[in-house]
Amino acid sequence: MKQVEEFLTGRIWLRHFIPFPKEQIDRAILNGSVTTRFGITDEKQCIRCLEHSLQKIVPFYCEACQQICHYCRHCIKMGRISSCTELITWALPSTNLLQSHSFNWTGNLTPLQQRASHEVQKSISQKNDHLIYAVCGAGKTELLFPPIFEALKIGLRICLAAPRTDVVLELTPRLRAAFPNTIIHSLYGNAPEELGFAQLVVTTTHQLYRFENAFDVMIVDEADAFPYSYDIALKRAVVKAKKKEAPIVYVSATPSTELLKQVAHVSKLFKRFHGYPLPIPKFQSLWRYDKTFAKGQLPKKLTVWVDEKIDKKEPFLLFFPTIELIEQAIDIFKRKYPALEAVYSQDADRKEKVMKLRQKEIPGLITSTILERGITIPNVQVAVIGADEAIFDAAALIQISGRVGRSSEYPDGEIIFFHNGITRQMDKAKKMIISYNGGL
Amino acid sequence: MNCYLCDRTIPLQVTWRSIFFTEREEVICFQCQTEFERIETGCPICSAVGEEKCLDCCEWEKTEYAGLIDNGKSLYRYNPAMKEYLHRYKFLQDVVLSEVFAKQLKEELRGQKSVIVPIPMNENKLRQRTFSQVDRLLDAASIPYVHVLGKHEIGLGGKSKVERIALQDVFWWNGQPVPEKILLFDDLYTTGSTLRLAAKVLKEKGAKEIKTLTLIRA
Repeated sequence: MKQVEEFLTGRIWLRHFIPFPKEQIDRAILNGSVTTRFGITDEKQCIRCLEHSLQKIVPFYCEACQQICHYCRHCIKMGRISSCTELITWALPSTNLLQSHSFNWTGNLTPLQQRASHEVQKSISQKNDHLIYAVCGAGKTELLFPPIFEALKIGLRICLAAPRTDVVLELTPRLRAAFPNTIIHSLYGNAPEELGFAQLVVTTTHQLYRFENAFDVMIVDEADAFPYSYDIALKRAVVKAKKKEAPIVYVSATPSTELLKQVAHVSKLFKRFHGYPLPIPKFQSLWRYDKTFAKGQLPKKLTVWVDEKIDKKEPFLLFFPTIELIEQAIDIFKRKYPALEAVYSQDADRKEKVMKLRQKEIPGLITSTILERGITIPNVQVAVIGADEAIFDAAALIQISGRVGRSSEYPDGEIIFFHNGITRQMDKAKKMIISYNGGL
Repeated sequence: MNCYLCDRTIPLQVTWRSIFFTEREEVICFQCQTEFERIETGCPICSAVGEEKCLDCCEWEKTEYAGLIDNGKSLYRYNPAMKEYLHRYKFLQDVVLSEVFAKQLKEELRGQKSVIVPIPMNENKLRQRTFSQVDRLLDAASIPYVHVLGKHEIGLGGKSKVERIALQDVFWWNGQPVPEKILLFDDLYTTGSTLRLAAKVLKEKGAKEIKTLTLIRA
């Protein structure tokens, strides 16, 4: 029963997909330690993801009940929830699930990081929401380590949620190295199932649907990033997964004005951990580049730029606005530069290709906005093709610019916006970056 | 409304037709539609690639199942988009996806003279899945059908073709009158065993002509 308690504490799980024998769960329900609820409320709301729109909660004739049931299309990929599906939660207050922890991190925080780290810790102890407003490469993950350790020590359960699987995969090993005695679960779509009680959970915001009233501290990394910023369901999930009084710590390089207004306690870090300023984007016209690609040619200015990077043996990223354009462009590029590769969100080999670039096996990558955040490649040079397209808003452009000059050996690099007319968003991105460097 | 498959908004198409007639609303966007591969030509029984009767169907003609199917057709190839679709519809049980091919099925079956008989589901399996994916495809297209067969609790999935052929009595006649001309309908044609086992029972019970239609040719 201990195992069931460890697994189910703070979780809300499909009864028929629980990794324990059926008899064990049946017994736990009978003796009252596990409660069951039906998946869709009378008000037609999904109790796992809290979706309640008529488009997503849809009726159908259920052959199991021989009547009309409703099911939720929003979170269907995690196993369908319908009116007659049972979800289970651990009903009793949690017993002694706490562990001892050690902190094994030898790095140093800059004075700026240190100050922010203290401020976060203070907010957590006072149960205030907090925003870490830090430029790309400020070292925001490291500054979270001391407050996380303090929270672990006093027995709090902590969640670090990030919008994308890539970010979760990047954070997990760093946290496991810093807290070697702590059980840390890493959750994302199709992640291997881990048993036991994790006092620290690293997860995609999506997987938070499966938690309820679980965490004493909720940290939302990249709080401005897609899909989190667009999806109110994910925002609801953050609130549902934490305990009522638990503070939220938001981490963002490009917070929305809404978030800035909403959170009273803010730590600003407008300097990179290595102390060098952020590279400032250059604008370069690339008139009607889409027509040039459509004709099966490469824009001249672009080939000049790419040739230069290849000559200097500098790795580069070319950001494109749409997958369609990537598919069109990669064939044309490959004719001239056979070693180039392209990645986008549906690409199964994404990780391998990024690895190849990092190890200099390929000179450069063509990418969609999927690589706009979370990746660090020493000395990488970046060009945005079609920076005037709507998908490249100021936040995205700032993130993309943030890929350049992250390591202390190569604190500088080139970021160039190829455009078909300068947009306000491009101007805004450039102004913001200049203002960060001014230390405003 | 949003596309059932990619969740992007479908731009509203206003035409004279849409103003004066109630047309079936598109449930998937144009981009997603182009991902599916319609079968133009193929084997006259199973629509496998090629012009002639395919090797598999020729093999069937050497067995006791020879001549059971007079002719047949499948509408789509089992490409990655279709695999994903079937996974979401059948296994994730996203019932509304039955509407995705409603228009195409309606067009295909317009003026059909044969009586449409869907491949049935086993009762237990039906309760487990909570809906019959084959019936719902026809319902979504407002196509009338009759059930003449019942099915025993044996899944065909995961069995080799030889094993499948060895499976007798998967289907049984449910006592309803058997029409002379039948169009057997199923979601997926993989080896052709399901349709032939069903056709055998129907012919034994008096069906004269059996055609087949499947949504997908694997």
